[in-house]
Parts: sequence; structure tokens; C-alpha cells
Amino acid sequence: MSKFFRSFVFVAVAFSFLLAACGTSAVPTATEAMPATQAPAATSAPASAATPTPLAPGSVTLTGTGSTFQFPAEQAYAEFFPGVDPAVVINYTGTGSGAGKKAIIDGTVDFAGSDAVLNPDEITAGKDLQIYPFLAGATVIAYNLPSLDPKNDPKLILDGKTLADIYMGKITKWNDPAIAALNPKIASKLPAQPIFTVHRADGSGTTEIFTNALTAFSSDWTAGHGTVIDWPTDKAGTGKGGNGNPGVTAEIAKNQYSLGYVEYAYAVQNNLPFAQMVNKAGNVVTASPDSTKAAMTDFANAFTPQLTAVIVDAPGANSWPIAGYTYIIIHQTSMTDCVKAQKLVEYIHWILTNPAAVKYATDLGFIPLPNAVQQKVLDTLGKVTCSGQPVHW
Amino acid sequence: MTRFQQLIAVNEARRSRRRRVVNAAMLSLTGLLTLMALVPLFWIIGYVIYRGAPVLNVNFFTQLARPVGMHGGGVLFAIEGTVVLAVLACLFAIPPGVLAAFYAARNPNTPLGIALRFSTDVLAGVPSIVMGLFIYGLVVVPMKHFSGFAGGLALSILMLPTIIRTTEEMLKLVPHTLREGSLGLGAPEWKTNLSVAFPAAFDGIITGFLLAIARATGETAPLLFTALGNERFDIGAIIQGGIQAHQSLFSIIGRIVNQPIDSLPLTLWTYAMQPYQERIDQSWGVALVLMILVLLIEIAARLWIEARKRALQG
Amino acid sequence: MKNISISKRNTWQERLNRFTRHGDIPWSLLIGAMAILTLVVVIAIAWMLWTQSADARAKIGWDFFRPTLDATWNPAKDIYQAWPFIYGTLITSLVAIVLAVPISLGIAVFLAELCPERLRLPLNWMIEMLAAIPSVVYGLWGIFVFLPAVVTPVGEFLSHLSVLPGFTGTLFTGPISEDGTSRLAAGLILTIMVIPTITAISRDVLLAIPNSQREAAMGLGSTRWEMIWQVLLPYGLSGILGAVILGLGRALGETMAVTMVMGNANEATGSLLKAGYTMASLLALQFKEAVTPLHTEAMIELGFTLFAITLILNLFARFLVWQVARRTPQEARA
Repeated sequence: MSKFFRSFVFVAVAFSFLLAACGTSAVPTATEAMPATQAPAATSAPASAATPTPLAPGSVTLTGTGSTFQFPAEQAYAEFFPGVDPAVVINYTGTGSGAGKKAIIDGTVDFAGSDAVLNPDEITAGKDLQIYPFLAGATVIAYNLPSLDPKNDPKLILDGKTLADIYMGKITKWNDPAIAALNPKIASKLPAQPIFTVHRADGSGTTEIFTNALTAFSSDWTAGHGTVIDWPTDKAGTGKGGNGNPGVTAEIAKNQYSLGYVEYAYAVQNNLPFAQMVNKAGNVVTASPDSTKAAMTDFANAFTPQLTAVIVDAPGANSWPIAGYTYIIIHQTSMTDCVKAQKLVEYIHWILTNPAAVKYATDLGFIPLPNAVQQKVLDTLGKVTCSGQPVHW
Repeated sequence: MTRFQQLIAVNEARRSRRRRVVNAAMLSLTGLLTLMALVPLFWIIGYVIYRGAPVLNVNFFTQLARPVGMHGGGVLFAIEGTVVLAVLACLFAIPPGVLAAFYAARNPNTPLGIALRFSTDVLAGVPSIVMGLFIYGLVVVPMKHFSGFAGGLALSILMLPTIIRTTEEMLKLVPHTLREGSLGLGAPEWKTNLSVAFPAAFDGIITGFLLAIARATGETAPLLFTALGNERFDIGAIIQGGIQAHQSLFSIIGRIVNQPIDSLPLTLWTYAMQPYQERIDQSWGVALVLMILVLLIEIAARLWIEARKRALQG
Repeated sequence: MKNISISKRNTWQERLNRFTRHGDIPWSLLIGAMAILTLVVVIAIAWMLWTQSADARAKIGWDFFRPTLDATWNPAKDIYQAWPFIYGTLITSLVAIVLAVPISLGIAVFLAELCPERLRLPLNWMIEMLAAIPSVVYGLWGIFVFLPAVVTPVGEFLSHLSVLPGFTGTLFTGPISEDGTSRLAAGLILTIMVIPTITAISRDVLLAIPNSQREAAMGLGSTRWEMIWQVLLPYGLSGILGAVILGLGRALGETMAVTMVMGNANEATGSLLKAGYTMASLLALQFKEAVTPLHTEAMIELGFTLFAITLILNLFARFLVWQVARRTPQEARA
């Protein structure tokens, strides 16, 4: 009889779970974000006012997904932001910029991380999406050439056209004259080995930045640009995909004579040698916070009304040519859960302005916004509304 | 002996030696193949222990992930998530599965019975990633967020065929006399099923559950588009926060199942693809915990079956 | 007396009991509903995949399946041709089946016919443990241990074969990349993963063959191997074929381990030694990333293709196994 009873308990609990899940999805404001008993008091007060009753620790979960590039920074924020506001749990998963954009358009997350800008279709589909640049990063060409001594030999130097030709499959060997001409000091050490090109297998803003740059570099680059493209070298069997920045880095580390594009921060943390580039001004530059900041400054006035800017192939003398912003995307006016909206705006404000937050990001190899850009972003952030009410940090 | 018979005998002698050699060779080959198949098993288990054991410590089981570049941290979020997902999957799969199995055991040859067997077979063969696609469209898009609920549902569909099939088989093994005795005493059929047949088959059915849980626990693909992953998942904090805010048990459970959730295999998949040595080391730790969990459940289930078989025979 | 008992029977509980035949009618309805629910799940999966890929079918048409490895899958230009992924799925599963079938049959024969009684149970268990190891653990072990240790050397050896006459086809066009990620790697990992499936079912098929068959063969003077090879295997052939097809089904749908070891490139030579995608691995990597609606739909169409292939294979396999099961007891009795 007791076993018989047990089976009924199973059923009962199962249904209560079902109801619980359905119930909360139907009224997210009341049950998810705050104690049910206190909900009326909070919603009747203007959302901009300081919340009268303190929220329970961990009672507001801000879910974000997207760019794996900003993942380390978001992880650091998630670790430290609850120290600033214990009510908030930041949950960011690195799934790729394409995934982030899709998720915010579908409304499955509170904010998305993306290195790629929204295309016109996505803006239409997402209605009120607003993009906030908050960090920038350089994309570097990491390589694995065992014949070079990383300490004593100079770094490999590439220019835009050569890079595009390598990814087009026109330059297939390391000792190609084009590469040798750029690297007279190590020309004798360039092996007659085929070049393995590594790219992202998942949709990625890093791919978008990189293919934007290739398009700007060379008219011979015909494979287009975007978060996922069809790689010409794949067809020849010398291309390979890695999952996320980490996957690409791992592929390069494991395969001799390979080369691939990864974010600067990842290459630095993994001690991968990465190439210097000849920029638009004709100077050989190394990827660094300074050279990336130079590129950002070159394009400081190039922002679209949506706060996006393409900063590849920058004209400055010391500007790194393959760089891009990484963005947070939120719904600017259509958020209905005002407690969440409030916390989200506070969170974005914190990562933009708090010196500690900026330091976490710079320690990880990210480049913070120049002042002129930051002010533009904060102006837009001040215009977020929830249920028609303005939301302030 | 005719000449013909002699010829046969000679041929036979020559052939019989060849036949004996072939026999011995092929028979030992089968044994060799068996040993060969065990090589990967021990290789995997051994290597996972070798790489995973050094990573395991108290923090590994009690802390959340720390940001890349900061040492330490654990996978508590994944362990909790795995448990929550397994519980959810059981809740969604076991009641309908067992009841459907009662139907299958009673009406194997009705049109619906045949359709049921057909759909069980189909479900057993559907690639798990397709389940993920299905639940993504069915639950995640309408609910507008990834959740443990969706993940549990995806896993439950995966478990359903195993549960139906084992339960059905176990119910069929219940002696007819037992059933007839109960019915003869005037008990209605549902009472006979639930209080006589079900308890009699209980051990076997539980084994089926355990095997299904073991397989579901190790699955990653259906969770990619449903549970998503959540390195900040912390049941303790949710419950604590809920109690402080005087929330009902109902809404606390709601909060647990209604947000993205992680699981051991999902964490393993994310960590293994990272270039940070510490993360890769931790992924071996996760692999070890996962293997221990899955293999223990599996072994427990099999021991249970064997013990019961022995009890029945003896 | 009579009146009293009648009035007792007419309490509402008694009436309800009679009306529901003491609860049996609700019970039948409940279990029937759950049986229908299972059926509905299957139909819902098929229906959802079919309807949600309607636009892709309308816009792309049969070009989606055009069998050319030089195909384009370019979300940047919204062009989707899926053949390389279908090819990837088929070729890796084929490698797995070709290698796993003889091994699994050998093991099944050993376990069913030759194994000492004491070893049978632990061996059975160990083989089935191979199926219990999670797919991601196979992948992890694959990329860090198995690939460098086994696949890369084997691949290098195979790439040398391509100079020999008869091996000039593209299947072994090298070189294999140093870390070993390739279609071959996926095929070999899948081999290990399908062995337990094929073994378990063919072992059961062998065990179900009536002893009269064995006795007759031995009585006619055949050796044990001849009995196995000439009598048991042909006898159980359709069941074993069913086991093979179920193994194939598992290989086709396997996702995580394959994604981790396959290299993920839309590669056009089709060589085993080159990186590739399978349908499942493309879904795992790109579905969440799909942004244009057509990209999503194309991917769901891919999911539907995968579903349809495994559905047909499974039905065929079940049919074969079921045939053996139906035939065996009758003949055993005869």
C-alpha cells in the first residue's frame, strides 16, 4: 500500500511543478522578481524612486547570453556585482553573438552580449532594441610556427592583403613570397608547409569583425562578411572550425603551422604568439590597448544613432586595423518588469562607470571606452523606460 | 570400403585439420575482440580518474565557478543543476510512462496498443538533439526564456521510452495467478494493478527508472537549446532569499525551475573547449564526477536486477 | 431486510462506484490517455519540425539536398545547401558500422556461445558500461587522448595509402591535421559508441536461437565455429541486421562526441582525413546562432531530415528484430 501511495505522491508533485513553472511564466513580475506580498507596493511607486523595501538577496536574476568574447568580463562582473547589490544575480552564458542576438529578439533573455551589430532585419524584428558599446577588443592573428623561437625571433608580420589571400586559399604555404617579403628577418625560417586556417565554427561577432576587416583590406575577398560565412579554405580541406574563441585558440595551440583569428585577451592569456600587422598608414603595429584605443579614437565620431561603429582598417598612424566594440543589447522601451529594468540599467551603469568594474575588464585584456564615447552611451542609457516610466540608475 | 569412401576419408582428414585450426583461430578471435572492446572502457575510466582525481577537493563540490583568471572555484552549480534536471525529468516521465506501460501491458494488440509500441520505438530512436529542437520550439520560444523546466522536459522525453518498455516488461512478468487472485477477491482492476501488480514488479521497474536516469544524466545535446547553462545557479541562495522574503514554497520551487540551469555534461562541454589550463583540469574533474554518478546508478540498477533474479530462482 | 440493502446500495458512493465500475472506467481512460500522450509526442515532434521548416522547403527546395560536396552554407548570403553535412553524417556512421559490426558480432558470439559462465555477467556489464559513458566524456577523452594517440598516426598511415593504386580516391586524401580532428576521428569514436548497442542485441538474438539448431549442427559433425558461422548467424541474420541498423541509428544521431572531434569545416574533398560537420554537430553549433529566419528554418529542415532518417531506420530494424522474435518460439516448440 505504501508503494501505491508513493506513486500518487509522484503524480501530485509532478503537477505542482508543472503549475509552478506555468504560474511563474504567466506572471513573472509578481513571483520572479519580488515577494508576492510586496509586489503591489513596489509597482505603485515610480520605478525611478529608490525601492522602498529592500529586495531579498538574490531575488532578481538578470539573464544574459551571447558573445563569448565578453564572457570573461561578464563573469568577473557577475562575481562582483552582487557585492554592490545583493539582490541581483547576473547569469551570463557565452554562446556566441549570433545566439545572443537571437535570444534578445526572441525575448528569451534580459540582455544580450554581442560583438556584432544588428542588421536592419534584426532591428525590425527586435522593435526597440538598443545597443550599448561598453568595451572594445582587438582581434589578433595567432599562429603556431614551431620553427620560430618565440623569445629571440621577431614576430611574424602580415598585411591586410596577404591575410585575405591566406583565408581565400590563394596563399597556401608559409614560405610564400608575399609572406617572405613582409618578414625579411625570418624569411629563411618560414617552412614549406601548408597553412592551416582556423576559424569560428559557431556564429560570432569576432568573425564579423574579422570578415569586415578582410572586406576592407582586399577587393579580392569575395566570401562576404557576417557572423557565419562559408570559408574558402574549408573547401580546400585546409580550414577548420573551433567552437568559440577558446575552441579556436585550442585548435591553433594543438596544430603546428596553423593560424587563426582570436581576441587579443585570449591570445595574451594563453601565451600564443600573434602577428603584427601593417596598418592603413603603412606602419607595422602590434595589438595592444594603446593601438586599439587609437583606432577607437579615429572613429570616435563614426557612431550611428544606434551607437554602433565599425572600427576596422583605422587610418591613424598607430591604429590596430582589426578591432571592434563589444555590445550589450537590451530592450529600450518594452521591458515590463520594472524591477528588472531598474537593476539592468544599474548594472550597465556600473560596468561603464565604476572604476573597479573598469579595472576588472582591463585586467582581462579589454579596452574601456574613451571618455567621449562613454558620455554618448550614458546619454542613451538615461532614456530607458519601463511601462512608460523613465528608469534611472 | 569403396574407393569413393576412401577418397572422402582422406579429404576429410585433410580438411578436418584445417577446420580445427579455423575453429580455434576464430573462437580465440572472438575472445580477443571482447578484450579489445574493453580497452577503451578501462582507458577512459583510468584516464578520467588520473586527470580528474587531483582536481577534486571540498571547494570543487561546494563553490560556484569563479571568473577566468581567478583560481579555485567549483562546480556546485552543475551538481545542483544535474539533480534538479534529473528530478524534473523523472517527475515528467515516470507518471505518464508507468501509466502508458499499464496500457501497453493490458492491451498489446489493440490499435492504440500497437501505436503505443510504435511511438515508443520511434522515441527511442530519435536523436537527442532533435528533442532539444522540439522543446525549444514547444517551450522555450513561447515561455520566452531558457529554463530548467524546459531542460527537464527534454530529458523526460528521452527517458519515456525506456520507462515504458521496462515497466511493461516487468508488469508482464507478474504471474497471472497473482492478478487473478486479486480480481477474484473482487478488487477492481485499477486496484489490482496499483496494489498487486505494481508492487510485485516494483524492483524491476525501479531498475528501469535508474537506467533511464543514468542515461539522461549523461546527456548534453537536448540541454543546449533548453537549459542553456548557468554558472551562477545556486539553490542555497535562492531558498535563503526566498525564506527571507517570506515567499511560499511554491514560488521558491518556481524560481528554481524557471531559470536557466546547468548540468555536469553541459559544464564539461563548455569547459573542455576553453584554452585555460585550469578550466580543462576542472573539466576532467567534472568528467570524473559525472562518470562516478552515472556508472554508480547503472551498477546499482544491475546489481538490483541480479539480486532479484537470484531471489526468484532460489 | 431487502429494502435496507437496496437503499444502502443507492448511496451516491455506491452509484458512483457502479457507474465507474469501481473506478475501472476512469482508470482505463487515464492509462489510455497516457498511451495517447506518448503517441502525441511523436506526432508533435514530426509536426513541429515539418511546419517550422515550411519556408525553407518553399524557398530552397530540392537544392537543399543536391548531392554535391562543393556546396555552400552561407548565412551571410542566405544560401543553404546541406549535402556536406548529410555526407558527414553518412560517412562517419558508415565507418563506425563497417568497423563495429565484425567486432560486435565477435563479442556477441563470445558472450552467447563461448564465454565461461562465471565471466559472462561481468563481461556483459562491462560492454554495456561502454554505452553508459556519457557522450561528452567520449569527446573529452577523444580530443585529449584518443585522437593524438590513435587517430593522427592512423590517419598519417592512411594518407600514405593514397599513392597506392586502388587507393587513389579522395577518401584518404591527406594530410590529417596534427590534432587528429577529422571525419575519421568521429567515425572511430562512433565505432566504440555503437559496439555495445550492436553487441547487446545480437547477443540476445543468438541466445534466442533454439538449442535444437546447435545440437543438429554439432550432431552433423561441424566444429563449433562452423555451427556459429553456418547455422547460428544465418539463422539470426535478420535479427542481427536489425541490431546493426539500430547501431546505425545511434551513430547517425550522436552529437556531442562527434562535434568535439570532427573539426567543423564545410570541406569539399570528402576525405576521411579532413575536418567536416555532421547534421547533428551543425545543429549543436549553429542553431543557437541562427539569426536570419531562413537560417533557422534550414536548420530545422536539417533536424527533420535527421528525424526522418532515424525514424525509417528504426522502424525497419524493429521490423527485422520483431520477425525473429515472432518466428523463434514457434520453431522452438516444433
